[in-house]
Amino acid sequence: MLTRMKSAVANFMGGIMAGSSGSDHSNGSELPMRFPYVRPEFLGLSQDEIECSADHIARPILILKETKRLPWSTGYAEVINAGKSTHNEDQASCEVMIVKKKTGVQSTPNKTSSNKRRSSLPNGEGLQLKESTEVDGITFQYWALFDGHAGAGAAVVASKLLHHHIVEQLQDVVDILKNSAVLPPTCLGEDPETTSANSRTLTRAASLRGAAGAPGSPSTPQTRFFTEKKVPHECLVIGALENAFKEMDLQIERERSAYSISGGCTALIVVYLLGKIYVANAGDSRAIIIRNGEIIPMSSEFTPETERQRLQYLVSPTKEALVHLFLNIFLAYKTIEEDDLKFPLIYGEGKKARVMATIGVTRGLGDHDLKVHDSNIYIKPFLSSVPEVRVYDLLQYEHGADDVLVLATDGLWDVLLNEEVSEAVTNFLACCDPDDPHRYTLAAQDLVMRARGVLKDRGWRISNDRLGSGDDISVYVIPLIHGNKLT
Amino acid sequence: MAYAYLFKYIIIGDTGVGKSCLLLQFTDKRFQPVHDLTIGVEFGARMITIDGKQIKLQIWDTAGQESFRSITRSYYRGAAGALLVYDITRRDTFNHLTTWLEDARQHSNSNMVIMLIANKSDLESRREVKKEEGEAFAREHGLIFMETSAKTASNVEEAFINTAKEIYEKIQEGVFDINNEANGIKIGPQNPMPGPTGPHNAGQAGGSCC
Repeated sequence: MLTRMKSAVANFMGGIMAGSSGSDHSNGSELPMRFPYVRPEFLGLSQDEIECSADHIARPILILKETKRLPWSTGYAEVINAGKSTHNEDQASCEVMIVKKKTGVQSTPNKTSSNKRRSSLPNGEGLQLKESTEVDGITFQYWALFDGHAGAGAAVVASKLLHHHIVEQLQDVVDILKNSAVLPPTCLGEDPETTSANSRTLTRAASLRGAAGAPGSPSTPQTRFFTEKKVPHECLVIGALENAFKEMDLQIERERSAYSISGGCTALIVVYLLGKIYVANAGDSRAIIIRNGEIIPMSSEFTPETERQRLQYLVSPTKEALVHLFLNIFLAYKTIEEDDLKFPLIYGEGKKARVMATIGVTRGLGDHDLKVHDSNIYIKPFLSSVPEVRVYDLLQYEHGADDVLVLATDGLWDVLLNEEVSEAVTNFLACCDPDDPHRYTLAAQDLVMRARGVLKDRGWRISNDRLGSGDDISVYVIPLIHGNKLT
Repeated sequence: MAYAYLFKYIIIGDTGVGKSCLLLQFTDKRFQPVHDLTIGVEFGARMITIDGKQIKLQIWDTAGQESFRSITRSYYRGAAGALLVYDITRRDTFNHLTTWLEDARQHSNSNMVIMLIANKSDLESRREVKKEEGEAFAREHGLIFMETSAKTASNVEEAFINTAKEIYEKIQEGVFDINNEANGIKIGPQNPMPGPTGPHNAGQAGGSCC
């Protein structure tokens, strides 16, 4: 525990000294890292433990030890890849954040939100805060997974900063959201028509301009905005999340002149705010809800294949040839990466669509300097940082202890079907002591184990002698029953 | 910190025999009477000196419970040393040694050094397994043997260090292929005995960027 404490201090100092920590590498041309390489803060790993965990041969499954560290008794487990990159390029973060109305003073996301973070409380108890207990703020729970490619830089930066951008974006609409919050929770999630429409509507444009935060009238209903179109408050949250992703991407773009922020990353986040779960996804991670054995997909993947239409539209229909070229470039790129693999044994056969981490995704953050192999063509214009956001009304259902939201990076989904994941989780939890505080983490560990498999003579193998995942794998298992308890 | 070699260890044995306490005593020099059940795997590390060389021990502490057995098994690979622990006050933990040993032999590399540890030697009044029985089992299976107490720290240093000495000797004898990381040995940056790639490159053996 002492070593853990020391390492926590070291990590903290490392964070502050981020600029200097990378100075070893700076030989004039190289920039310092924005943040040093880390594993998720909530795992509480020392430097030695991080070193041990980066074992590509035994591939230890890391799990959340302190169950109180995450809200809702969330479970978490992860494993490093089989050798395709030195580091585990997945990142995760989980926070409970408070949004307060912006004060008159202009402030950066970093500064405004640093004092709103509750996770820094010593024992993590702060994470168990009841919703909306703050006098003038709204609390939200936040879970995030980032899958980095071509370096861990962008994923680390996003895991440290994206939630602050979300706070920043929500600040603009916090007053409106709060007005609905004071209504009885049974009304939440109902059609906005059932409540006073005047107090809850405003145009999206107005909200984006920040009109909602008009000073001096926090208690005045927003009557000025009952205009042409009604916007339910969940759309405000969706807009805020979309903007937060865009702002995060822009920040990475800006800061890459001063820091080395390598590669890019996918981002899958969950926000629980005022009775609703928002799942925002850019990339090929996936979220599903397993409710009473039924699977409810909460995201879709963005890959060259699934985004053909957007790309086509992007280049305009007349330039279809360019789209073809682009798609071919993607495929060519993957092939090259595959050849570069250090452990072909593990990847070499029965290739599923899972190709190398590089750029098999069309949405995500970072990648500003990525060029088509052996050319001067930037890929960034084809990529989008805008997530798809889906909403789930948590209060509409009575959830049992085994109803969960599973979030995982593609390392899991490449080798396991939704149905297999659902069956595994359902069976696992059914056999697990309902009072075991570790049950969701153990379920996450079980999923990682099923996807990683065991190392045999012919590589990592899972059930039915199928090929296991050689990729980084990260999994959250979030019990939904805790959402019900909060209200 | 710079080291000449890094050895990877794994600690195995039934639940409750004191695996985590042995690790804590070795890395932090303290005893924790009540310890949370280990689920999955935990890590510890410490630097020791053998033959004037700095050696870093990287120790994997595993879950002893039956339900985690398949996960634990998957961690044998790539270990240079194993501490197989039983509790002298619980005969069943001694009876299960054969199963543990079979598991270890089957899933590890054949040169892995195994130290048999009879823990809780401070609880003499509750002893169920005689020291001679442990010694006999070790002799029969070619293991090193030691009685320890994680509580009083008796023989704990020796258990970890003697295992390292045995591995070190095997390296000197050329039994271990030290350039193959699957053997649980890494060459550090300050190794005075350069391998074919030279000391500098060898230090980065674990890493290559992509």
